[in-house]
Amino acid sequence: MAEPLLTVRDLSVRFPTTRGVVQAVNGVEFDLEEGQTIGIVGESGSGKSVTAKTLMNLLPRTAEIDGEVMFDGRDVRELAAKGEDHFWGVQMTMVFQDPMTSLNPVKRCGEQIAETLRYHMGHDKKKAISESIDLLERVGIPEPAKRVAQYPHELSGGLRQRVVIAMALACQPRLLIADEPTTAVDVTVQKLLLDLLDDLRKERRMSMILITHDLGVARGRCDEVAVMYAGRIVERADSHSLFSDSRHPYTDALLRSIPRIDQPSHTRLDPIPGRPPELINPPVQCAYAPRCRFAQRSCLEEIPEVSGVVGMHSFACHYPANTERGEAALQANLDRGETAGGLHLHAAAEGAS
Amino acid sequence: MAGSGLAPLRDRPDVLLRVEGLVVEFPVGRRDVVHAVSGISFDVAEGETLGIVGESGCGKSTVARAIIRLNDIREGSVMFEGKNLAVLKGEELRKSRPDLQMIFQDPISSLNPRRKVRDVISEGLKVWGSQMGAWSEGRIDELMHAVGVDPKFGDRRPHQFSGGQCQRIGIARALAMDPKVLICDEPVSALDVSVQAQVLNLLEDMKVRYGLTLLFISHDLAVVKNVSDRIIVMYLGKACEIGAADELYEHPRHPYTRALLASIPEPAPTVEVSEGDIEGELPSPINPPKGCRFNTRCPHADEICYEDEPQMEAVGGDHFVACHHPVAVSIDV
Repeated sequence: MAEPLLTVRDLSVRFPTTRGVVQAVNGVEFDLEEGQTIGIVGESGSGKSVTAKTLMNLLPRTAEIDGEVMFDGRDVRELAAKGEDHFWGVQMTMVFQDPMTSLNPVKRCGEQIAETLRYHMGHDKKKAISESIDLLERVGIPEPAKRVAQYPHELSGGLRQRVVIAMALACQPRLLIADEPTTAVDVTVQKLLLDLLDDLRKERRMSMILITHDLGVARGRCDEVAVMYAGRIVERADSHSLFSDSRHPYTDALLRSIPRIDQPSHTRLDPIPGRPPELINPPVQCAYAPRCRFAQRSCLEEIPEVSGVVGMHSFACHYPANTERGEAALQANLDRGETAGGLHLHAAAEGAS
Repeated sequence: MAGSGLAPLRDRPDVLLRVEGLVVEFPVGRRDVVHAVSGISFDVAEGETLGIVGESGCGKSTVARAIIRLNDIREGSVMFEGKNLAVLKGEELRKSRPDLQMIFQDPISSLNPRRKVRDVISEGLKVWGSQMGAWSEGRIDELMHAVGVDPKFGDRRPHQFSGGQCQRIGIARALAMDPKVLICDEPVSALDVSVQAQVLNLLEDMKVRYGLTLLFISHDLAVVKNVSDRIIVMYLGKACEIGAADELYEHPRHPYTRALLASIPEPAPTVEVSEGDIEGELPSPINPPKGCRFNTRCPHADEICYEDEPQMEAVGGDHFVACHHPVAVSIDV
């Protein structure tokens, strides 16, 4: 089984709008092996959810998609064109962020799971409902026989998300895409849900794409992590090296900017200045250059190619952090007091950080 | 009355806000009440930042809103500069408003979308007119400058700003009243991580520059630790544990505090990860458990926990815990 389960090559998604074309996803590439979890982290607007929705064939018709998505030797975009509905929901399923809006409020939980089983697997009603009860039990819902007859509003947020997970697992998918599955729940519930997903993944040798803005979740739960910025994957590595030896200045800056539980209180944070760029008619330059402490002239002139070993540690940067070249660029900027992108740096503040 | 004890109240001259036995209840239906906050006592010294942390439904926002009387207070007192805010009415209550200002979770929906941000910031000053002294364009420019929004964008409307900038504008609006206490209710929860740090640093700067006392509410344990001097951990309308920020995270004593610290994606080194596996669901605040409210999920619960409500007790220094069986911690020397 050398072939990865999922390969994504040069995926681009554009949305025409009245203000211009939004380049939401730009040249995204990654592989996912069977039984592995890849985390996609990024801020709002970085293209992580659009990437997921492209895989799930959930984008609006107006979206212009380019690139190749192969799943176990089958071209996913071709399946979409042929209207093969039984691919999504059986082979590849998705869990969404907000369990309140991804469940139908006027349908009993059991019926919603049973619906999936009846449509995709052709079960009759009775069998579908009894299987729903088993699924609810498997995802750790107490009194499953009672819960199948309840409506979503009768359940807490954590239980609702478990119902959504049960639904996604109903047809034994080989790939589960979880888009911010725990953002709407409390930390204690988050831990239980992530533990559950971990167990299910191991038990079924399922692959998972975990989309999150929480770096801690990505670090703890993924084999590999891809960092997205302005529609591109700017860095990708196994989660250990990504967090301990990051190369892209954006990853580096993100890690420095979050408050950490092991720092004493009132530790001064090191924020990323500015904000993410507009995705309409972006200039031909590294999208992060205006906020980057390492930026040099070439960063404003050409978009850096992805370099490094694909599948090991790859990144798209002219002056990567934690390298000699990058440190020299940073030092040059500090000496000048500003970057090529016009960002002012304060040498004193740098020394303190 | 169910009380969690007055032990954490300090007898210090610089205490600015003193909340004693605060009870907030909301009627539901004909007979039931939601016991949102059931007897919380704490104080905040001048220039201090008090963090309130807990999961959704624990009553942390209700505490904040009750202090500035956005909710009715059922019982208890809120002493601020010699006055009990809990019983103030009419003009007297109105006069207390500028001193206690609030910023909210959703920065965009807390600004009027149809008004220019300059007008949003200056409205309070205009309402208070002569009492506040100087209202001028210059003052608004200064405020906008202080929070890092270019005053030349003052004529724009909120939708033309990003979430982070809207939160800055919300902070400027609160600062315009020259408040003594700034209540921040999940001020960075809706912001992206890269912007979160900017706003947290800004709050620290404004605290120093304007001599503020902060009440900071968040469900994010790392964020609360970063900004706070002292922290209260709440569960189901009660305080579990109060202590200095570093001490509380270093030596958590209440099983619930430990569960929280063990549940975060990168757990605190002071707890076992398995302590995060607390079972069951948050009980209904309409019918909270007798005794200790955490008894339905606590791994250490025994008979006494179902009978008697634990009171806040000192466990050394400025550290208080309401638990019959506080977890012993080894103090490293």
